[in-house]
Amino acid sequence: MDFQTLILKLSEYWASRGCILEQPYDTEVGAGTMHPATFLRVLGPEPWRCAYVQPSRRPADGRYGENPFRLVKHYQFQVVIKPSPADIQDLYVDSLRAIGIEPAEHDLRFEEDNWESPTLGAWGVGWQVLLDGMEITQFTYFQQAGGIDLAPITAEITYGLERLTMFLTRTRNVMDIEWAPGVPYGEVRKQDEFEVSKYGFEVADTDLLRQLFERLEAESGRCLASGLVVPAYETALKCSHAFNLLDARGAVSATERVGVIKRVRDLAVGCAKAWVAARESLGHPLLPKETPIPEAAEAGNGEA
Amino acid sequence: MSEFLLEILAEEIPAGVLSQARNDLLRGLADALAAERIDGTFFAHSTSRRLVLFSRDLPEAQEDHEVEAIGPSVKVAYDAEGRPTRAAEGFARGQGVAVEALRVVATPKGEYVSVRKVVEGRFTSEILGEVVPTVVAKMSFPRMMRWGDGRDVWIRPVHSVVCLLDGLVVPMTLFGIESGRTTFGHRTLAPGRIVVVGVDDYLAKLRAAHVEPDYGVRRRALLEKAEALASEAGCTPVEDVALLDSLAHLVEWPGLVRGSFEAGYLELPEEILVTAMREHQKVLPTRDAAGALAPHFLAVADHVGDPMGHIVRGNEWVLNARFADARFFWDEDGRARLEERVPRLARLSFQEKLGDTLRKAERVEALSARLAADLGLEASAHEAARAARLARADLVTDMVREFPDLQGVVGGLYARRDGESETVCRAVYDHYRPAGVDDALPGEPVGRVVALADRLDTLAGFFALGLVPTGSRDPYALRRAALAVVRILLEGGHRLELPVAITAARRLHEVSGASEEEVVSTLHPFLLERLRFLLERRGHRHDEIEAVLTTSCPDVTDAAERVAAVSRVRRQPDFGALAASFKRVQNILVQAGVASGGEIDPALMSDDAERQLAGDFFQARGILDELIASRRYDEALSVMASLGPVLDRFFVDVMVLVEDEAVRRNRLSLLAAMRDQFFRVARLSEIQD
Repeated sequence: MDFQTLILKLSEYWASRGCILEQPYDTEVGAGTMHPATFLRVLGPEPWRCAYVQPSRRPADGRYGENPFRLVKHYQFQVVIKPSPADIQDLYVDSLRAIGIEPAEHDLRFEEDNWESPTLGAWGVGWQVLLDGMEITQFTYFQQAGGIDLAPITAEITYGLERLTMFLTRTRNVMDIEWAPGVPYGEVRKQDEFEVSKYGFEVADTDLLRQLFERLEAESGRCLASGLVVPAYETALKCSHAFNLLDARGAVSATERVGVIKRVRDLAVGCAKAWVAARESLGHPLLPKETPIPEAAEAGNGEA
Repeated sequence: MSEFLLEILAEEIPAGVLSQARNDLLRGLADALAAERIDGTFFAHSTSRRLVLFSRDLPEAQEDHEVEAIGPSVKVAYDAEGRPTRAAEGFARGQGVAVEALRVVATPKGEYVSVRKVVEGRFTSEILGEVVPTVVAKMSFPRMMRWGDGRDVWIRPVHSVVCLLDGLVVPMTLFGIESGRTTFGHRTLAPGRIVVVGVDDYLAKLRAAHVEPDYGVRRRALLEKAEALASEAGCTPVEDVALLDSLAHLVEWPGLVRGSFEAGYLELPEEILVTAMREHQKVLPTRDAAGALAPHFLAVADHVGDPMGHIVRGNEWVLNARFADARFFWDEDGRARLEERVPRLARLSFQEKLGDTLRKAERVEALSARLAADLGLEASAHEAARAARLARADLVTDMVREFPDLQGVVGGLYARRDGESETVCRAVYDHYRPAGVDDALPGEPVGRVVALADRLDTLAGFFALGLVPTGSRDPYALRRAALAVVRILLEGGHRLELPVAITAARRLHEVSGASEEEVVSTLHPFLLERLRFLLERRGHRHDEIEAVLTTSCPDVTDAAERVAAVSRVRRQPDFGALAASFKRVQNILVQAGVASGGEIDPALMSDDAERQLAGDFFQARGILDELIASRRYDEALSVMASLGPVLDRFFVDVMVLVEDEAVRRNRLSLLAAMRDQFFRVARLSEIQD
């Protein structure tokens, strides 16, 4: 199985299960969760079924393309379904069949692994899915996003595409997996991995990044003040990326870090609230007309 | 006798909560039923997806039972002629009996009318239908979740509920799911429906569907398979109770496979290989006959076999990949010596107000040198300081970022590669020890000095900020740090004046906050509390510990020796009498308000018993000075005990609180002098019979 066939098969499968196929978000993000199709859509009562590929950037994970497993930019296949259906695990197991894995021939386990994102004010409960000892998927029931307790609950399924391809083809080095038949991943990506690693660790202008952080933060606030939720959120994501670059450069002290993370979270929380309000004022267009809005769950019941 | 079966089938429940959940469910339901006068013997099982409870000896129904309802008083219930009043009639009507059925009962408040009624017992099935949903919904878990529409909260979404009594469904609704008799087999091996009629039928059908409900059976099977598979490869599995416990929770069927990794990775330090296997991959390492790590491992598989070999090959691929990663880090980290990494610790916070980790390292470096000298290890002071400086540098390596549990260990291995002295390497290696009450201490004195300095620095800093643990809240694990300090001193037999050491540690912190004296006055008792805990664990009696800890205890090792001495000597015949007499001594002195002894004038002594006590005490005093100075506490206590009979005679013959002030004061001074001398070892008055 090559990389793009994996993407095609997963897309086809989840589309056949009623998910719309969104596309990668065109702003740098650290994970598929930050795509508005997840972060904003998990909020509020409207149902949502969506899948997409998201290139995810983590400057601190850069290894100049030399490490067989680690990349600044890797690709995630993300599925979000709200409300989480009762057969979500079965749907997931069927998705493995769709990519050529017959579960009965393998050891498939769901081991507790909860997820938390301080910058998004978000957390969830779930598992890492292990196939023959390999973590192939993160499976999360979103409990909170942007500081807001969620109901209904979204199930989020994240496949790490490079890892999964490596595992299915027993390839030792990520650069050696096939992107398409006869085209190695390294041919497509190796140069940019080297360059973005070098940029992130050695070249990025920290003064510029700091200025960007400050100005983008202010801009996000300005957008919110103008009632523009999506631009405010996009700007917050850019802010977050500037922080990640500064961090990779070693330019964020430990004491500073906590404060900076909180500033990004404040933006995310503001966006989440504004999104909830905006959808409400639009009358929750995705809500089937005959369905009453479920009552919001009591707050703060997650961490007993 | 009725047979009861409950199965809750959920999405995978975290391994860490299953034992507790199983017990909570069993206890919760047994208690709730007992409150309804239904008693039985319950058995609980669990798998990664199920909680199971059953009983074979429940009553079909509650026993009928008699209740008595008290009505109005006799005076109110009957008129002068003894005819029932309207009050009596009303009460009888309310109770559904004829007024003639009322009887008179005597109560502490007087005579009342009453009625006895037999209440028919309710059927167990009906009660189960009410009790089970309540008990299950009330179960609590460390991290609960919502799902679907977000209405329900539990550990994981629930899929089906089987609840049968004598083969009949007990109707109830749990998290929106109707109870029934249908469950499902193993997720991938036998995912079909299973319809059950009773406990044995359930257990048999479940096993046929590749689900072993009994945790104990799964665990034993895993262990047996591990031993068998390892021995086929000429090795033995590394014993790891905690890992095995957890693996048995992770599966519904106890499958196990043996895989191998490339022998070349055995060049990497064993600590790293073992951690990658145990912590990251949750597989059991193996050792060869000579005890060396073997290139084989055992991986749990929720499967009856490995039909295509995928499971072995997958696990092998992952483990080889992990090792390749570790080798990459090992090589990459080798580009910078630990020494060069120390300045990078400035990027890591230690505590907001106490500065970054570089400052921490520098303080511990200074304190280690100081403590080495205080502990009589002057010759090692330089190495202790060196080790302390390097001790945390591994926090800025890729290896520790990847294997956080190996902090310290990785530092020690890298220090060796850097060519640091073996003493320094070992000290870096295990300065995080002891991690808890049963963990081993650092193996060598220098490591203990660094460990001690590290904890004292942390404690002094947090106490200076007033961040003192209260109740069960101890977010910075300061109790553990304090326990480590006391264990290192005690078990290493090290003598250290804690107030002096605390003062030195506090002085190295630049933060404003509590003064040195204030930190000593809070931290020293905090450390003594840990000492108390450890002494109790050693089996010392409460009064022995109290007798010593209520004296001045700057040195915990010395205090522990005194407790041990009291504990041994108290069995000697004279000792009980001495302790009893000393309660009297203490009472008189407290009553008379004598804080410490004054002049003792033999000329004022008029009584033989008084003169003998003084004479014997003066003689003993010099001996005691020597014995205490050389910490021969058993002998010191024996010498004290030998004074018991004389002291007793004194109390029989001599009146202490006499009119004559000079005589009185002289007698009190004698007793005070004895008390002050004796209490250097222990407050004998605290010892109970």
